[in-house]
Amino acid sequence: MIAVPRTWRGPKSVGSSLVVLAAWLCGGVLLTFILLPLIQLFAVQTTGTLLQVAREADVRDALMLSVTAAVLTALVAGLFGVPFAYFLARAEFIGKSAVAAVVDVPLTVPHTVAGIALLMVFGRHGVIGGPAEDFLGLRFWGTLAGIVVAMLFVSLPYTVNAARIAFEGVDPRLEMVARTLGMGPWRVLARITVPLAWRGIATGLTLTFARSISEFGAVVILVYYPMTAPVQIYEMFLRYGLEEASAAAALLLVISLALFILFRHVAYGRGPVVGGGR
Amino acid sequence: MTALAVAGLSLRLGAFALDDVSFTLPANDVMVVLGSNGAGKSVLLETIAGFHRPARGRIAINERDVTTLPAEKRRVGFVVQNFGLFPHLTVAQNVALGARAQRRARAGSPPVDIAALLRRFGIADLADASPLVLSPGEKQRAALARAEASHPDLFLLDEPFAALDAPARSQLRVELARFLRELRLPALFVTHDYVDVAALGDHLALMHAGRIIQCGAVDDVFRRPVSRTAADILGFENRLVGRVVSHDRRLAQVAVEGKFLRIATESAVPAAGEVIVAIRAENVRLLRPDAAPTNAADNRLIGAVVALEPLGALTKVALDCGFRLIACLMSRDVAALGLVSGAAVAADIAAPDAHLVVP
Repeated sequence: MIAVPRTWRGPKSVGSSLVVLAAWLCGGVLLTFILLPLIQLFAVQTTGTLLQVAREADVRDALMLSVTAAVLTALVAGLFGVPFAYFLARAEFIGKSAVAAVVDVPLTVPHTVAGIALLMVFGRHGVIGGPAEDFLGLRFWGTLAGIVVAMLFVSLPYTVNAARIAFEGVDPRLEMVARTLGMGPWRVLARITVPLAWRGIATGLTLTFARSISEFGAVVILVYYPMTAPVQIYEMFLRYGLEEASAAAALLLVISLALFILFRHVAYGRGPVVGGGR
Repeated sequence: MTALAVAGLSLRLGAFALDDVSFTLPANDVMVVLGSNGAGKSVLLETIAGFHRPARGRIAINERDVTTLPAEKRRVGFVVQNFGLFPHLTVAQNVALGARAQRRARAGSPPVDIAALLRRFGIADLADASPLVLSPGEKQRAALARAEASHPDLFLLDEPFAALDAPARSQLRVELARFLRELRLPALFVTHDYVDVAALGDHLALMHAGRIIQCGAVDDVFRRPVSRTAADILGFENRLVGRVVSHDRRLAQVAVEGKFLRIATESAVPAAGEVIVAIRAENVRLLRPDAAPTNAADNRLIGAVVALEPLGALTKVALDCGFRLIACLMSRDVAALGLVSGAAVAADIAAPDAHLVVP
């Protein structure tokens, strides 16, 4: 039945079917591992408890805050990360691999560690947090700005890396041709380079959004209040137990997945396949 | 009027370099820049287009010094390998982009009739097509139409055929030559394939290691390679090292491995020292060893077949006549002459087909 793929691009010969079957069984285990907990999360819900939780102001505020912060984070990541990704894709310089490695560091830093480190910089007495509050009145501790900072730290690599790969796929000769046609460098970026790399950029922003909305560790240390949805769920779990927390969790899952699918659709619905052909 | 004047152009760019490159291209003419990969041909073109800042030298297009101008102000039509159409736009949008950008850059220039331009290049029915579905020939037309829409003063073509198979190359070459003639625009065409030269160029520049080693009318350069490297780039299969024994105004006698070759002299011949005799494989005429001398019998060599390399309609034959000689003939003649490995064969070379290269 489903164990027989419609097409198989590997070698087809006697004995291959065992390889296909083994590979598919491994995949089946993985899929079950991913889907079972999520399905279970919904299976135990009743419409009543879901609606009841959804009506709670705390939960609604937390969900709203999470979505807002994650969208803002993706926008900030785009603003800074996409130009930087273009630079990394086009420039050759000594230490480029070191710079690329620095971009990847947040992927390996435990999120609570990231939170503590961020608190030391963006906290009340931090090197940025202090002056920002004194001179700009901008506070990170316990504010939306702080949530965005925490989310940005852990999710920025997705935007930079995806956009960089997308830019690398755009043939520089297309940009050259555009210039000779009479377009200035900014116009070439806007009309040629970014549209051609759009799918990769959008994928990166979507991943940054998804990573941000699911962030707990860094956020909870830098900004406990106001509570984002994951923090709210943790709090409910501690205070009221599994049942109430799982209803809020199911709600967050529905919203994150819906937005993730929406953004992916936007990303893939526009723009052609990257690469002008070499 | 000169379409392009390059003077003393030098720059270094990683593994590539330009070293004191100078040449001029008269209006409406086409110059082919021929050189092996890594010679710096593309760097030269990109520098003229405005993508590298030369360390020294000047570039003038239509007698307008563009050395310090950005690429968008140089008015060149740039055609790259695979033609560089923007894949996210339709053919008409590609062409319109060239026209719009140029109108913005040059206030007051008349609007371009895109539909008419597409008709002129025979791609009107492809206006709404994606470049991704075009054949190579259609891509070339669209790329030329787009460049033409931006009213360039000069076309720069960077190996546009490099990724194509031989039949497509030859078809596109003929078509490109026709369009360039019709557009009456000067063009610089860069390639590593000497077959492109005769169909396209009025002038030929040979490039090696960042330098123009020879430049002139196509026929002159083909007839008189100035060095072994030049003969190499021009695709002379036979480059024989010899020594001038005697010469008069018309003929030189050159000793190659104990054999004497008579060579038509077209320029001064050195009295002594090593020379190179360059002969195209197709100018070596193979005959039965006992055949009567032909009118190409200024030189008759007797040798043995060493190797045969069938190339479809043509076959390359390597001979040993005291030195190694490559001949090229129709494959159907191979059997008629009984050419098998070890067979004896006569090779006739006309004096004007052998070129004296003084290294």
